[in-house]
Amino acid sequence: MYSQMNGPQKRLSKDAVKVWIISETIASVIGFIILGILLYLDYRFSWKEWIGWILKGLLLLSVLGAVWSWIKSFLLYKSWRYDVNEEFLQLKSGVLNEKYQLVPMTKIQSVATNQGPVLRKYGLCSVSVETMASSHTIPVLPKEAAIELRNQIAHYAKIKEVES
Amino acid sequence: MIPAKRYHPLLMLFDLWSLLKNNFFIFIILFVIKARPQSPFILYGRILFFIVFGVAFIYFILKWFTHKYELDGRSFHLYKGILIKSERTIPFSKIQNVNRHTSLFHRLFKVTSISFETGMTGEEAAVKFEVISQLESLRMEQHITSEVNDNAMNLSPSEMAVEKVDTTRIIHFKPMKKDILKASFTSLSFLVFIPLLLSFYSKIDDILHVEKETEGIFFYIISSWWIVTTIVVFLIVASVAFGIARTFIKYGKYEISSDRNRIYITKGVIDETAFSIAKEKVQAIEIKQSILKRLLGLAEVKLTSAGSLSFGEETLEINSLYPFLPVQRAYEMVSEILPTYEVTPKMKRLPKKSLWVRLFSPSWIWVIATAVLFYFRPAVFGVGQGWWILSAALLLIIIAIRWLDFIHTKYILNDRFIQHKTGSLTTSLFVSKRDKVIEVKVTRSIFQKWLGLASIETINRAKPIQHNGIEDVPVEFADSFYKWYMGRRNEIEIEIE
Repeated sequence: MYSQMNGPQKRLSKDAVKVWIISETIASVIGFIILGILLYLDYRFSWKEWIGWILKGLLLLSVLGAVWSWIKSFLLYKSWRYDVNEEFLQLKSGVLNEKYQLVPMTKIQSVATNQGPVLRKYGLCSVSVETMASSHTIPVLPKEAAIELRNQIAHYAKIKEVES
Repeated sequence: MIPAKRYHPLLMLFDLWSLLKNNFFIFIILFVIKARPQSPFILYGRILFFIVFGVAFIYFILKWFTHKYELDGRSFHLYKGILIKSERTIPFSKIQNVNRHTSLFHRLFKVTSISFETGMTGEEAAVKFEVISQLESLRMEQHITSEVNDNAMNLSPSEMAVEKVDTTRIIHFKPMKKDILKASFTSLSFLVFIPLLLSFYSKIDDILHVEKETEGIFFYIISSWWIVTTIVVFLIVASVAFGIARTFIKYGKYEISSDRNRIYITKGVIDETAFSIAKEKVQAIEIKQSILKRLLGLAEVKLTSAGSLSFGEETLEINSLYPFLPVQRAYEMVSEILPTYEVTPKMKRLPKKSLWVRLFSPSWIWVIATAVLFYFRPAVFGVGQGWWILSAALLLIIIAIRWLDFIHTKYILNDRFIQHKTGSLTTSLFVSKRDKVIEVKVTRSIFQKWLGLASIETINRAKPIQHNGIEDVPVEFADSFYKWYMGRRNEIEIEIE
C-alpha cells in the first residue's frame, strides 16, 4: 500500500505504550483475581472435574493474553498513523492485520475528545469521530494535540457536500 | 404551496381499526372465548378494555383536530401536540424516497397512504400520512419533486412544470403473461401449496379432531390406484395454479417508469405499493441472481436508497425493478432509467493466489462440525465408523462454495464507478459512484501481505448502512482503489452557506 503516495504520517503520543500497558495490566489483574477466586472455590468445594479443567484452560489463555497484550501495545504504537487534511481523515493501524481507513471530512457528523482516568494521569486524550456509517477513535494523543485535532476536524467537517 | 390543514378525517377510523387489529387477540379472549363473565378477572378486563378504547377514541379525535400539515416552497411543516405543541420542518431536499401503500382498507374508502422517507434514523425519520386522498397524495408527490428541479420556482410555473414532467413519463417495463409464468416457476411458489394445505388440515384437526375420519378416507384412497393418480394430478394442477395466482397477486401489476428526474415502481394487485426515488438519490445498484435465475437467464435489479423501504412494520421490498427480468433487459433498463450509471460488462478476475487463500483459510463451521461428529460418532448409512463421511462431504461442499466464490468474484474501477461481483450460490453485482460511497477501508492480514493481496470495503448510505467488499484482490488494485476514492473531490459539490 501507499506505493506511490504519502500515507498518513502523524503518530500517537509516546506515552501510548505506557498507557496501554497500564490499562491492560489492570484488566488482567482483575481477570486473574476473578479466576483465582473461582479456582479456590473449585478446590474448596471440589466442584465437578470438568469445571476445573475449564478454569485451568482459561488461566492459561489469560496468561498468554496478558503477555500478548503487552507485546501488542508496542506493536500497535509502532503501526498507528493518522492524518487530516481538508478532505480526508486517514487512519492506519494494526500489525498482523493492517487496516487503512479513508473518511471524507464532509461525512463526519461529530467529533469529541475523551479522557479516562489513566489518560488523565498522563495528560492525554483520545479523539473520537462519528460518521454516518461508523465511529473511529484515535486512541492516545497529548491533550493539546488532541484538542487542536478536534478543532481542526470540526472546522473541516463544517463544509457540507450538496447532498444527493 | 399547500396551506396548513388537517389530515384526512378517515384517519380517525383508520387509527381505531389499527388499534382493534393489534388488540384483536385480547378482544377475542374477553368477549368470545369467555362470553359469560364468570370470574371478576374477565369483568375487570372488559372494563379496562372499554376505558382504554374510550381514551384512545377521544385521543384520536383530539389528534385529528390538533395535528396539521403544511407544504411551502421548500419544506414540510408538521404541527402536532394536544397540550405540548410542536412544529417539525423537513426540507424536501432531505427526502430520499417516497413510498405509497394502498391496503384493502384504503381501497375500500378510495384513499391511500404515503410516506416521505428521509435518511435520518429514529422514529421521526419519515413524513407519514396514514390516510390521504389519492389526489392529494399525487399532488404532494409532484409538489416535492417539482421543487427538487428548481428551488426558486414559485407556484404557477411549478405547476405547469409538473404537467410537463408528467406527460414525459416513460414506461420501461410491464410483465407479460410469459413473464408471470416464468416468475412463478423461478420463485418456486408452486411448492408452497402443499405445505399450506397441510397446515390448514392441522388447524382443522386441532379444532374438530378429524384424524379418525381422515385415516379411514386415507386408506380408502390408497387402495385404488386411479384415485391416487387423479389426486396427484389434481394436486399438481392446483399447485401450479396456486403458484401462478400467488405470483400474479404479488408481481402482476408491476410497472417501472421514469421521467427526467425520478424513477417510479408500482406493484401489487390487491395490496398496491408504489415507490419513487429521485435519480440522483440512488446510492447504488445491485443486480442479484440465484442459481435458478442464472440457469434461466433472469436477474433482479435493486436500487439502494438512504431512506427506509418499509411501511410501518412491513418490509415491502419495493426497491426492486421486477425480480425476474431477463439479464439483457436488466442491463438495458439500468442504462435507460439511470443514464448517469454505467455498467461495464468486462471485469477483472481475481489472481490464482487468491484461490489458494480462500481454500486454505480455516473453516470454523467444518472444524466445529467435525469435532462434534468425532465426539458423538454417529453411524452413517449403517457404517459404524461412518461419521467421517459426513465430515468429508461437508468439506467438499465448503470447497465447492469457495471455488464458486472465486470464479464469480470480479471487479473493476471505471472512472467514477466501482463495480464488483461476489457470491457463491447467489451472485450479486454491485455498482456505485465515487461520490455516493461514504467511506472506504483496506485491510491486509498477515497472509495477504505475504502473498501481495488485500481486501477492500466500501460503505454506502442505506437503511441499514451497506458494507460491500471484495476479499483478496491484488495489492496494486487496493492501492489504486484507495487513490480512486481520493479523487472524489472532482465530483462532489460543496454547499455554499
